[in-house]
Amino acid sequence: MSEGDSTAAEPALTDRSFRLHPLSVPYRIAERGLGLVVFAVFVGPPAFRALAGTVGATVAVALAGLIAVGVVGYAVAAYRRFEYELTADTFDIRSGVFARRDREIPLHRIQNVDISQNVVQRALGIAAVRLETAGASGAEAHLKFVGRGRADALQRAISRLSRAEDGEPADEAETESLFEISDRELGVLALVSADIQLVSILFVVGSVFLPALGTLAHSGWLVGLDRGLGGLFGPLVTLVGIVVLGLAYGLINATLYYGFKLSRGPEELRYERGLVQRFSGTIPLSKVQSLTITENVLARALGYASLDIETAGQSGGEGNQGGSQSAVPIAQRDRVIELANSIEPVGDLTFERPPKRARQRYAVRYAGALTVLAGLGFLLQTAISISLSWWAPLVALPLVPLGAHLKWKHRGYHVGEDHVVTRNGFWVQRLKVVPYYRVQTVLSSETVFQRRRRLGTVTIDTAGARSLVGDDAKAVDVDAETTQRLREQVADALYDSLWRRREPKTND
Amino acid sequence: MSDPPDERTPPDPDPSDESVPDGVDTAVDPAPSDQSTVAAAAGIDEAVLDTPRELASTVRLQWIVRSAIGAAVIGAVVTVIAYGIGSWTAFLGAGLGSAGTIGGAAFALFVLVGVLRAALLYRSWTYVVRADSLFLSRGVLTRVRTVVPYVRVQHIDTRRSPLERVLGLSTLVVYTAGSRGADVTIPGLTPDRASTLQRRLERLTTGSEEADAV
Repeated sequence: MSEGDSTAAEPALTDRSFRLHPLSVPYRIAERGLGLVVFAVFVGPPAFRALAGTVGATVAVALAGLIAVGVVGYAVAAYRRFEYELTADTFDIRSGVFARRDREIPLHRIQNVDISQNVVQRALGIAAVRLETAGASGAEAHLKFVGRGRADALQRAISRLSRAEDGEPADEAETESLFEISDRELGVLALVSADIQLVSILFVVGSVFLPALGTLAHSGWLVGLDRGLGGLFGPLVTLVGIVVLGLAYGLINATLYYGFKLSRGPEELRYERGLVQRFSGTIPLSKVQSLTITENVLARALGYASLDIETAGQSGGEGNQGGSQSAVPIAQRDRVIELANSIEPVGDLTFERPPKRARQRYAVRYAGALTVLAGLGFLLQTAISISLSWWAPLVALPLVPLGAHLKWKHRGYHVGEDHVVTRNGFWVQRLKVVPYYRVQTVLSSETVFQRRRRLGTVTIDTAGARSLVGDDAKAVDVDAETTQRLREQVADALYDSLWRRREPKTND
Repeated sequence: MSDPPDERTPPDPDPSDESVPDGVDTAVDPAPSDQSTVAAAAGIDEAVLDTPRELASTVRLQWIVRSAIGAAVIGAVVTVIAYGIGSWTAFLGAGLGSAGTIGGAAFALFVLVGVLRAALLYRSWTYVVRADSLFLSRGVLTRVRTVVPYVRVQHIDTRRSPLERVLGLSTLVVYTAGSRGADVTIPGLTPDRASTLQRRLERLTTGSEEADAV
């Protein structure tokens, strides 16, 4: 039951139970131990001294030793009591030291198989494997840790076996490389991933409040500081700080996507990425719920975009990193669209914009927000009597029509043969492609303000995991009549497209 | 299984039970006749389809009681805060009396809002069992209309809270795999009607799978 080399182990991977990699024991002890070390350094000595004072040094040492033995013993026991097994149609895990748990995961329910390795794990040659199914709040199975070769073999075997179950040819087919990130694109990624919107908001907030802070400091304890200089340098320092922060964030993002490779196997996509921490994973094409093409202002100006693929699993890659399901982190816009088309053939997109009266709504909204902001600033100033540039938000009033126009311009929807596509956002534009046969429910809503202008919003809900955070496809502020029509049309198209998808299967 | 006529709401004092609440006329779409519908596959009588239905009128009482409980909590909190402010600052009058008045006013205000909301929400609620989908329309400030295609229904629950049991009401919850599953809830049904609707929807859901398998 030793951890063999991948090629040697592969033929006998099924119907045999395996343990985790032996090195996972010391690794997990070290991982847990880190917390214990902190505890030992800060709380340990005084506790030890107090204990030694009351019961004697020998007993205290024995107790400390007992704790250490307990930790190691539990880790070894957990290792010995953890077994996994791949059968022809399920993945079984038996685990638990005291409370036992047997779990069987049907292979055709598995959404993604992800492998991740951090630096230490890479040095040790071990990797964590996550199996995701729809609906579960976390990974259904998390193997910590198996050998790198075993991880790859498992990933391949699971996709091969689940294909075989679907009646597709089960032989190992060759993969075709779809996309590899170039150094130039990596550079663009670093530049672009610094969120422009955040930067500008931080800058405005900084320049409004820093002078106030300056005066506070001036009148209070920093009497020597020249106020004029502070007023001049405050915003500048803030700006530089924000830009540096943004770039640092971008660089981190670039290391995450270093060496990004996307390839297409039979019925699935495979990706790998990461400089320090390596990730690789599979996305079964039959489980794709929707596609999202995202471009922020900077990326759009440079002609770049990114592509996300949503499945019903929790998320590809490592848990809570936003955008970790990126099929393509960044690429020329044309290439992204081409790739999206190869996954879901949308064809040409012609967007229907909301009626022009929607613009008035945005203008009113922005003007209102600015006024409220200024009002709050004024109230704050009178309440705590410090000088605050409370009128600063009002300076932006002339920009309101432009903002409203831009917001309007970047909205739209497209009703295609097999897909409905929505588009929203100026700062970060999101294009969501939803195939009709993935539609779960369709809802239209009209707020009081929308009803005044005979507008409405149509939301198309899918089972994708990302829609949990309200990232559904939405046609916002379309004409009230279109709202009704679109809602019914999409719901009807679901049946049409299901029927059409069935037909070829009954014919052959 | 026969389909008892559930078009009629027994406790509804308003005899014009088939009245279509305003705003629904554009929403109700006649079933597409050129194609075999899910309802046809499930053997559901066409007579029960496409009739907009209202909730039982007692649901207003349920909502009012619920908002009154909320208002009581808010009123109590306001009273405590007002008492605190009154005893430590000169901003408000000291003593339990003036604090009680403020709390009472908050309570009355929230109850009033609750009553108004209940009345308007009741008027706005309609649901329609269509040939291919369940359609819901409701909302006071934001009007929301939901279409749930039968193929997407995972399972259907009916549930009754203690208050609903006292008032003789029941709630139907339709689950889908979508992230907004919790949105598809029909409150204020009589238990009979809820179970009839549940059975009917279950048949439609199974029927939709058969239609789907064609």
